[in-house]
Amino acid sequence: MNQRYIPDLKIPVSRRREGPRENMRWIGKSIKRVEDPRLLTGKGKFIDDVVVRNMAHVALLRSPFAHARIKSIDISKAQALPGVIIVVTGKSMAETTGPTVSFSSPPVPQYVIAVDKVRHVGEAVAAVVAEDRYIAEDALDLIEVEYEELPVVSDIEQMPFAKGDAVLHPERGDTNVAMDRTFTFGPVDADFARADIVIKRKLRWNRSGPQPLETAGAVAEYDEGTGKFTVHCNTSMYTYVGWLCAVSLGVPATQLNIVPTLAGGSFGSKLFLHRVIVLTASLARLAGRPVKYIEDRLDNMTNADAHGSDRLYEAELAMKSDGTMVSLRYQVIDDYGAYLQYGYGTHGNAFSQVVGPYRINSVEARVIAVLSNKCQQGAYRGFGSEVANFVIERMADVAAKELGIDPIEIRRRNLIRPEEFPYVIPTGNVYDIGNYQAVLAEALRMFDMEGWRAKQAEARKQGRHIGLGLVTCQERSVFSSTEFWSLNPPDQPGFALTSSPEAISLRIDPTGKAFVKLNAPFWGNSPETVVTQIVAEALTLEPSDVVVGYADTDAGFNGTGPGGSRYTVMVAGAVVAGARTLREKLFKFAAHMMECGTDDLELRSGNIGIKGVPDIQKSIAEVAIASHYFRLSFPDEPGFESGLETTAVYDHPLTTLPPADRSHLGIFYPIMGHMAHAVALEVDIGTGKVEILDYVAVHDCGTVVNPMTLAGHVRGGTAQGIGSALLEYFRYDEDGQLLTASFADYHIPTAHEVPSNIRVGHVETPSPYTEYGIKGGGEGGRMAAPPVLVQAIEDALLPFGVEIMEIPLTPNRIRQIIRQAQR
Amino acid sequence: MSNKLIEIAVTVNGKSLERRVPPRMLLSDFLRHELHLTGTHVGCEHGVCGACNVEVDGKTARSCLMFAVQAEGAIINTVESLGTIAKLHPLQQAFWEKHGLQCGFCTPGMLMTAKELLAANPNPTREEVTEAISGNLCRCTGYQTIVDAVMSAAEAMRNSEVTPS
Amino acid sequence: MKPAPFEYVRPGTLEEALRLLAEQSGEAKLIAGGQSLVPMMNFRLARPELLIDINSLAALDYHRRDGDVLAIGALARHATLSASALVRSLCPLVTEAYRHVAHGTVRNRGTLCGNLCHADPASEMPAVMLVLGATLVLRSARGERRVAASDFFTGLYSTVVKPDEMLIEVRIPVTAVSCGHGFAEVSARKGDYAMTLVASTLDIRGGRIYAAALAYAGVSDRALRMVALESRLVSQVPSQALFNEVAEAAAHSIDVGEDQHADRAYRSDLIRTLTPRALAQAAASIAT
Repeated sequence: MNQRYIPDLKIPVSRRREGPRENMRWIGKSIKRVEDPRLLTGKGKFIDDVVVRNMAHVALLRSPFAHARIKSIDISKAQALPGVIIVVTGKSMAETTGPTVSFSSPPVPQYVIAVDKVRHVGEAVAAVVAEDRYIAEDALDLIEVEYEELPVVSDIEQMPFAKGDAVLHPERGDTNVAMDRTFTFGPVDADFARADIVIKRKLRWNRSGPQPLETAGAVAEYDEGTGKFTVHCNTSMYTYVGWLCAVSLGVPATQLNIVPTLAGGSFGSKLFLHRVIVLTASLARLAGRPVKYIEDRLDNMTNADAHGSDRLYEAELAMKSDGTMVSLRYQVIDDYGAYLQYGYGTHGNAFSQVVGPYRINSVEARVIAVLSNKCQQGAYRGFGSEVANFVIERMADVAAKELGIDPIEIRRRNLIRPEEFPYVIPTGNVYDIGNYQAVLAEALRMFDMEGWRAKQAEARKQGRHIGLGLVTCQERSVFSSTEFWSLNPPDQPGFALTSSPEAISLRIDPTGKAFVKLNAPFWGNSPETVVTQIVAEALTLEPSDVVVGYADTDAGFNGTGPGGSRYTVMVAGAVVAGARTLREKLFKFAAHMMECGTDDLELRSGNIGIKGVPDIQKSIAEVAIASHYFRLSFPDEPGFESGLETTAVYDHPLTTLPPADRSHLGIFYPIMGHMAHAVALEVDIGTGKVEILDYVAVHDCGTVVNPMTLAGHVRGGTAQGIGSALLEYFRYDEDGQLLTASFADYHIPTAHEVPSNIRVGHVETPSPYTEYGIKGGGEGGRMAAPPVLVQAIEDALLPFGVEIMEIPLTPNRIRQIIRQAQR
Repeated sequence: MSNKLIEIAVTVNGKSLERRVPPRMLLSDFLRHELHLTGTHVGCEHGVCGACNVEVDGKTARSCLMFAVQAEGAIINTVESLGTIAKLHPLQQAFWEKHGLQCGFCTPGMLMTAKELLAANPNPTREEVTEAISGNLCRCTGYQTIVDAVMSAAEAMRNSEVTPS
Repeated sequence: MKPAPFEYVRPGTLEEALRLLAEQSGEAKLIAGGQSLVPMMNFRLARPELLIDINSLAALDYHRRDGDVLAIGALARHATLSASALVRSLCPLVTEAYRHVAHGTVRNRGTLCGNLCHADPASEMPAVMLVLGATLVLRSARGERRVAASDFFTGLYSTVVKPDEMLIEVRIPVTAVSCGHGFAEVSARKGDYAMTLVASTLDIRGGRIYAAALAYAGVSDRALRMVALESRLVSQVPSQALFNEVAEAAAHSIDVGEDQHADRAYRSDLIRTLTPRALAQAAASIAT
């Protein structure tokens, strides 16, 4: 029996202060959303609803070529068009505005408007500022650009070999390979040597993207009197990287205030929006007018820095003949597109859960990141770990087939057991807690796999092809910032930040109402609702006594923002910290008012009272008004300052540094949710169309604050997973032209393409590390749907003996697969 | 814009008004930027997503595929006509209760489509609701709770003693 | 995505509309529903200098029986036609095909005549008009002419409509009682343009196919009526084997195109798969 390889790290002690409790008043309740009334009545303020007096409008001239030198740009005719204020080329903007933020090291410089060359179709070549968007677009027609086309390499397997003029960033060297490094976690060679069988396969994950209904946009003002920029934007992580936009603008961070607006969906695509912020601010300064830029859909599809993963894997899974998984080794080529804003973070992300929920002993990965003439990748729900899930689940299914073991059974044999948590995986990340067996059991209970197998057999007799699938996957939550740089060369980590906090300001007014200001925005998650619930819980208030708003960066720059399913966990931590501070202060005042010790007091239903003595209490409002207005009624000591106000910062609850040798990556994504998805579908083998007949999604997200909103994320994420697996494809041809550049060609699922009843189940294993035991759950649906759908389609096509290791499985592709099998 | 402005008279959310507009101004832009009715949203400007759906002479229309000048003499209702925070329309109430929205961007168009459905078919099946909303893209919800909401509103409206106008 | 500038006029009479069209022909475009035209204008792929809005010509919004023909006016909306009991009783293939056309809101404003003039190669109605042997009435200030559907569609987004002409009416022969209809389509999502569609009628008398019509769309630069294949069906007893044979012949004789969604082999597959389905539907749908 082999010794399990465990990376040499110490798991820090839990800093949790509030455990999950039975009979919580607000946490765990599906209260109606606080955000909804204004959204329902059309009163929500999105970025295109922002009006600033005298604002002008921006349109971008987009490159028609995938790769070309810009030989000349003649803007004279455009500039002369009535209604045009200024026309700006990349070269002229670069005189005042530097490249934008990038986590890659060495950085891949990106300018908001291309300077010497264009690197993908749709990249901005010039900007027009005009009285309205109509005129701005008229002016685009009048700009004359002379291009010298350069070669395009479109085949992912050829990209690592591109040289000379095919190189996108020649100043980085004569290659488009941004990184080619092998990461070894544990005794991989020895593990492969002792394996009974090695499963080896190629897998292809093609690119899709978030495509929220609302595009990105910004409205920027430049105050010539103060030299300060104010930029309204539907960005997510303005508190994290906002000041870096100031750097791009060449001004101190004090001179940029970013004001968040509601965002109509993001799914990762609006994390930074450095480009729209810097573009509009820079243009406002140049034009002497406030400017608004809203991406149209074509801008968003071709030039929003927001495409998803685009990977080719060659993977090997070393197994024992009894179905035990021993080791995983892979080479992956990731086509990042023209720039590298997040560095290799999407592979770091994959490493957080690369072994899935299984007891795999070691992992080795050769990650080849290539640059190509496509829009760059951004973040898309899963941020690269949805692909890791796809790989391990597909490999598990192949292993099951080759070893003659039932695919559910092979998973069971390898699932980490409840008593093994906290479980350190070979990459150094930790799985905090789980009960994967319980999730699996619940999924099987809800899905009725036996019943479906019987239906499948009946259908086969009629020549119909029903397929069944079940996957067991991880859904990590709460990233640590080490993920952004830990894969960079250890001697060149770049900005090796280790903070990813979340903060709120919390105050109680003289009437006893709680005011919360968040440093992260709304994008379709439910921050106001969950914060209201948690504040109400922590301070025993009614939800109607709580109001939640959003700070701009001047007022609240301590935060990170929504992403990586982190926000609910992190803001809960900030709320608990802030509530404790205010509770302490309230008790101090109340103890004085009631002539007792602070230890005698408790919060109950909006009152502060003496424990065990029900009729001695004061309402929070009574104590609050006293604290606000009656300083001289209290001792002349610290702690009795007027008012009830605090800023609370909560740091990542469980993260450690990677060691210098990168033998592991430290703990960086440990709040680990888990899910089992099961599907029954039918493939029309004549047309290649897939119809989903039944779908079950069981998720363990620890303590759930609002089951209704969580289920919403599960269903919405599953719908996006269906899109990525069956319908959506950002397809570039060999000249780098984007063939799917409108909603007519890029097929987002409609109500017809998503199952009418995705049945959602819950299991809860509260995290020992987070407040109330909450885990994040926003991304999960998309991280399990692709492998379960592909598994089921393969199962449906069992009579053809096909094996499918790719997405998307469009009807065209499914027919191709069947045809090939029939030869 | 083309220099020649055209005068139009149109009724929007019950109010009659006159404006001078360039021929090419899209109805979506007219509603949002001339009349400041920003409840109607713009998602694609090529008629696929449905975020811009409004009611024109009793039927939903893609406001991104109409020019404001074409609305001369028309009766237009946008989401702002449905209800207010103080008095929500049963559809709005149902969307709220059934979690029929997350980011809210598709919601106004979705509500106008649902309103049209229930006016023509007060007792739809789930399949009929699905078909009716299939021209409205939602990226957040997966549609299931939207269908739940429309079914719930339909029931509330059938049971209601007051006929909504 | 905003359109290029244009002049706009909304004539109050048909004569005025035709006069304007004649005066400005080449620079002007008629707009009825706008559901195909305006997206192209917003993408600036279409840049008419003058838009002639015919939506005031309410008298053109009709569909009625006219002898042995269903006459449909220029302003008849998809929504009206798809819900019409008259259309269903006279030309049920039209109603059947409408289940696949776009979505409710688009159908509210979109017109059948506008759709036919737009001549999208993957659209449903051109194929339906071919199958039903419709006649298209073109009017201009110079007069009127009638064009058979089989002569109307000339290529990608191209028809015989001259710059000064308006498609004023579509005249569809009423479907015989002995005639069944079938329609099969595959699109990426329901309501999208077809990757391949098959429309068919089979007139079955005395247990044999008396007449057949078979058309395809989504496979080429225009909808195609397969007259040669139809003659294979005539006089035959309808059977699955016959339909499969015709399907195979269709897959061989149609020179299919390809695009980013469907390659040639797939379209051929769909022709093979959908043809028997449409034909079987047609045979089964005859009222007994």
